[in-house]
Amino acid sequence: MECPEGVLLLLSFTAIFFSCEHTVPELEAQLAAMRKKAADALPGSSWSPFDINPNLPPERADIVIIGGGVMGWSIAYWLKQKERVREGVKVIVVERDLTYSQASTVLSAGGIRQQFSLPENIHLSLASADFMRNINEHLGVLNEDPVDLQFNQSGYLFLASEEVAHIMEENYSTQRQVGAKVTLLSPTQLKEKFPWINTDGVALASYGLENEGWFDPWSLLNAFRRKAMSMGVIQCCGEVTDFKYTVSMMTSPGGDPVVYKRINSVKVQMPKGLEYQMVECAIVVNAAGAFSGKLAEMLGISSNPKDTIAGTPVPVEPRKRYIYVVHCPDGPGLDTPFLIDYSGMYFRREGLGGNYITGASPKEADEPDTSNLEVDHQFFEDSVWPRLAYRVPAFEKLKVTSAWAGFYDYNTFDQNGIIGDHPVINNMYFATGFSGHGLQQSPAAGRAVAELILDGNFKTLDMRGLGFRRIMAQEPILERNIL
Amino acid sequence: MLKILIPTLLLIPTSWLAKAKWLWPTTLLHSFIITLFSLAWLKNTSETNWSTLNPYMATDPLSSPLLTLTCWLLPLMILASQNHLAQDPLVRQRIYITLLVTLQLSLIMAFAATELTMFYVMFETTLIPTLILITRWGNQMERLNAGTYFLFYTLASSLPLLITLLALQNKTGTLSLLIIQLLGPIPISPYVNIIWWTTSLLAFLVKMPLYGVHLWLPKAHVEAPIAGSMILAAVLLKLGGYGMMRMMLILSPLAKELCYPFIILALWGVLMTSSICLRQTDLKSLIAYSSVSHMGLVAAAILIQTPWGLTGALILMIAHGLTSSALFCLANTNYERTHSRTMILTRGSQMILPLMATWWLITCLANLALPPLPNLMGELIIISALLGWSWWTIIFTGAGALITATYSLYMYLMTQRGPVPNHMISMNPSHSREHLLLTLHLLPLLLLVFKPTTIWGSAY
Repeated sequence: MECPEGVLLLLSFTAIFFSCEHTVPELEAQLAAMRKKAADALPGSSWSPFDINPNLPPERADIVIIGGGVMGWSIAYWLKQKERVREGVKVIVVERDLTYSQASTVLSAGGIRQQFSLPENIHLSLASADFMRNINEHLGVLNEDPVDLQFNQSGYLFLASEEVAHIMEENYSTQRQVGAKVTLLSPTQLKEKFPWINTDGVALASYGLENEGWFDPWSLLNAFRRKAMSMGVIQCCGEVTDFKYTVSMMTSPGGDPVVYKRINSVKVQMPKGLEYQMVECAIVVNAAGAFSGKLAEMLGISSNPKDTIAGTPVPVEPRKRYIYVVHCPDGPGLDTPFLIDYSGMYFRREGLGGNYITGASPKEADEPDTSNLEVDHQFFEDSVWPRLAYRVPAFEKLKVTSAWAGFYDYNTFDQNGIIGDHPVINNMYFATGFSGHGLQQSPAAGRAVAELILDGNFKTLDMRGLGFRRIMAQEPILERNIL
Repeated sequence: MLKILIPTLLLIPTSWLAKAKWLWPTTLLHSFIITLFSLAWLKNTSETNWSTLNPYMATDPLSSPLLTLTCWLLPLMILASQNHLAQDPLVRQRIYITLLVTLQLSLIMAFAATELTMFYVMFETTLIPTLILITRWGNQMERLNAGTYFLFYTLASSLPLLITLLALQNKTGTLSLLIIQLLGPIPISPYVNIIWWTTSLLAFLVKMPLYGVHLWLPKAHVEAPIAGSMILAAVLLKLGGYGMMRMMLILSPLAKELCYPFIILALWGVLMTSSICLRQTDLKSLIAYSSVSHMGLVAAAILIQTPWGLTGALILMIAHGLTSSALFCLANTNYERTHSRTMILTRGSQMILPLMATWWLITCLANLALPPLPNLMGELIIISALLGWSWWTIIFTGAGALITATYSLYMYLMTQRGPVPNHMISMNPSHSREHLLLTLHLLPLLLLVFKPTTIWGSAY
């Protein structure tokens, strides 16, 4: 009787002999698979016995930035820029839609101007323009293509009617004082410079000579993102659905109860599915743009009485704005500035083929519905085209080639950005509510927030005026040049 | 000995049978009582140095300070873990305390062992609860990596030790510490004795840790929960030092030449790791590297085998145990409030928690070896002993002391002084539990100023 081991050996040899009828490529594939398995087993490979979703964010981070738009990535970049030692802070940016289909950043007209009435706004835009002019110094990554923002410095042209001309003059002196290069033009000078304008009804015009114009927002976003990720910021695709926070009840010196909240961790839900990760963090930055108000609601602010400090909601809500691309072969030439009419209509040149981007702000009463990003073409026919054709007669003959809609992160309180920490939620910082001029202020605003977090105070630009105090004290700082 | 071991063993059923409300106070109280009894070990009236003798266990002036330190640390670990375990389910809390008690038991038996075999078995046994603590209760994904490093570094270096012990038993017929200290030089063939010397010390050098094989320490300390960090820094490193001191009795004539590269490595490590401390962004990582730096001095002192060297090593081990554990507790108080270990984000806390700043100050001053604390005594004696061994060591030890002072002050200034970040303005105030914890760390340190002979060891 043959020993059982011998039988086994015989059987295995037979099996190998019969399996040799496999072709050589198959054997090579098997060998490659075995080699790969061996390489995985050696140290240095990233194989792990736990089959965890690799898209989940890490279990803890120092700073979680909610919102992956240009503001969020700007803050991430500046945090890494200022951290003083490599890997000083662990930053993750949570963005729920990496195609950015609803993000305000990429749907923006991309303009940058210093013609504001608030000195803080002018400072922010001036610093940002300086940043963008030297963008490769800041955001250039070794061995990668240089950043090209397509920054057209064609300037902004604001037109004022008789009633508001005095406001424009006051704004002009503020702007010059802060350092913006702006000039005032009379109607005759205006007609001389831009013969295609119809100067009826225009009493005064304000034209930006330097650092104003438009650029490609998508390039800026990607430049920030690429540089920040090269410096070690972790990007996570997910949606923040909840916070875990501790509450401490205290009484103010006046005797009123104040409820302080401190965020312990952020619940990040994966985009399509039920998986989530609680990210334990020290600081949360709310850069969620149009959806910042909804995010702050998750912290239970609205459950407090309305007229207390703790109960004041974050006054940011989405407002839909339309942009129409029109083609007019006989339109204004290549030196067209970004024209903003006193009626609320605006347009700018897009590219070199006679295309223009135009739009208008709707009246307060006719705000469009913000549940979707559908474009209302009737709005163009009713509100935009008449004003456009009145101001620039060449635009009577044009063709709308395309249109899109985007959200403003509209600050219902005073339409200016909110930069700073929340008085009651201890470790949440805000960089939101810019109401249409966030993209142009993003580099400087990101730097301001990074200084607040890492240095404790604003260092280069003093943005205390844009903090939460004004909302608590109900003192709006209205910007008189919002479109 | 049994009057300490049996109560410690019975802490395990205590932790399983106590009611939920009374779990932590009960285990705390009972471990404190055990600690009070263990203080009796410090008094040594024997002529042969060995006291509380039974066939398997004994204490002598070398092991009794370490034993008392181990027993002292258990209630402190329980105090420190109370807060972060509060949200875990009850069963897990019981398992945690059981793990701490098991670790305690193996450590007491390791330090009190009279046979080198029992010492070795207990040395290996301490690995298991520590590994479970790090990998289960650590905070991040990296803890798996940390546990692996910790386990395999120690295991790989200590398996040759097993072979050596068996060979020693074969050659000399005994492994009892009481007899081994009376043996003469052991004859082993000329090339094998180098291997034999290295393998008998390698396990302890890795545990100390010596500079070249120290990689497991920063990972393990940073990823471990607070109790894990405390016991690692305070006691487990000292296992290495204690083992070295015991083993070197039988390695005599060889040691004069063979210790040379390890002393150089240890002293270079002091300099290198203190410099690394200055570049750390993570607070726990800074404290971990500071541990490596202090232990480098201890390793060098033990290797030169002079009476002053051994005395200094023991004093520094005890003092460093208390100081390092206190520093980890302080880092933990910061972490529990801000959930961040990064030093940039947790600054200026003197303004908010002034009493905690006092503890920070005393502990950082202890770390930089301020007189008259035993840290200085230990370091001074070691530096003098090394100077007697060779004049050139003063370069390393002097520069090391300078950089130690620099990074200790840096740590204090970064965490306590400076502008208070906005997100730290309303932090929870310090708990009395935390104040008690730190007082219990610093009080022995201050008391030892008055009677350092308790921790002088048998060499003096």
